[in-house]
Amino acid sequence: MKRYDCLELLASHVDEEMITVTCLTSTFNMWRALRKGGPSFYNLNLGLCLPFAVGLSVAFPARKVIALDADGSLMIDASSLILTAQVNPANLVALVFDNQSYARMGETATAGGTDLEAMARGAGIKHTATVRTLEEFRAVVPEALQSAGPSFFVAKVEPGERFKNPTPPPTARGMKDTFVQAITRLPDYQGVRYGTPLPGVPQGE
Amino acid sequence: MDQEAIALTIEAFKEVGINYIVTLPEEPTHDLVQRIREDPYFETVTVPSEGCGITFCGGASLGGRRCVFITGIAGLLVGSWALSQMGPTFSIPLFIMASYRGDFGDLSGVQGTTLYTFNQVGEPLLQALRIPYRIADHKPTLKRLVRDSYLATLQFDAPAVLLLTGEVLW
Repeated sequence: MKRYDCLELLASHVDEEMITVTCLTSTFNMWRALRKGGPSFYNLNLGLCLPFAVGLSVAFPARKVIALDADGSLMIDASSLILTAQVNPANLVALVFDNQSYARMGETATAGGTDLEAMARGAGIKHTATVRTLEEFRAVVPEALQSAGPSFFVAKVEPGERFKNPTPPPTARGMKDTFVQAITRLPDYQGVRYGTPLPGVPQGE
Repeated sequence: MDQEAIALTIEAFKEVGINYIVTLPEEPTHDLVQRIREDPYFETVTVPSEGCGITFCGGASLGGRRCVFITGIAGLLVGSWALSQMGPTFSIPLFIMASYRGDFGDLSGVQGTTLYTFNQVGEPLLQALRIPYRIADHKPTLKRLVRDSYLATLQFDAPAVLLLTGEVLW
């Protein structure tokens, strides 16, 4: 199964109301080419993708938040699986692309006996699955976008898949600013918008 | 942390609307967290690791939740990768309160080079990451510092840390 095919299928089910978060893998370039619109935070690497997405899910409890993580990233901080189970956000879908390798630099532990889905279940996440074909992916992932979660999927994909996005990547700060502009326009954003009074501060202070 | 310092901190939280408390339990701030857990105004989450807590709190804060991560200075050391990403890389408005283990006056039982490490590495780490921080060590200024540290995250659009020590903590 190819990562690109999974993401292309996913993109056809993700609307502009949903929030996505990606780690720093080829998913980044594929997803920014495939997603038509809506808030996307990119490139949270080395264990940070899933916990950041869980944080966004508690900020937007009525909106689907989708974490697009990877085996190498998740394994750096597998405690985020425990966090996900503890917070238990019904609006979170976590999708881990497991190509069983560190790019072209050798195998990850999932090429051996490590089972990320079993770890997620052991952490306490109830809705989990491992998918190995596009048909399996099509059968479970779109449905999760309409169901109460949190859901956790491991998608076994081929290693070595490359994708060239002709659009230059945004800077980290530029990407974040674009993301903030998108979420602060959402009607359920509860934070402080730029230019509005700060909380607890009397006018004129 | 005594009852007066706890009350001042909670008053400051309520004044600025912080109602989502993320924590990884540690002894010096335990009584504060315990009082918060008993107060229905707050929602609390206990995280399994410091990096997780920093990043989780970062996502919630950026999404508009008014939250704070309460930890110890050791937590900043453990979570330094997450701090580097929430700070210099993405500049996420994130408020952290941390007990300043290893500061002068810490007679809480940790001794020797373990204690000394917190003192020698904690502040330089924050400086290296260019994360603004203040030290709260007097009760009369505690409430103002809690409020201003949180508001600084919103005004800077970046993390800020308040280190608790002195008569505020010990």
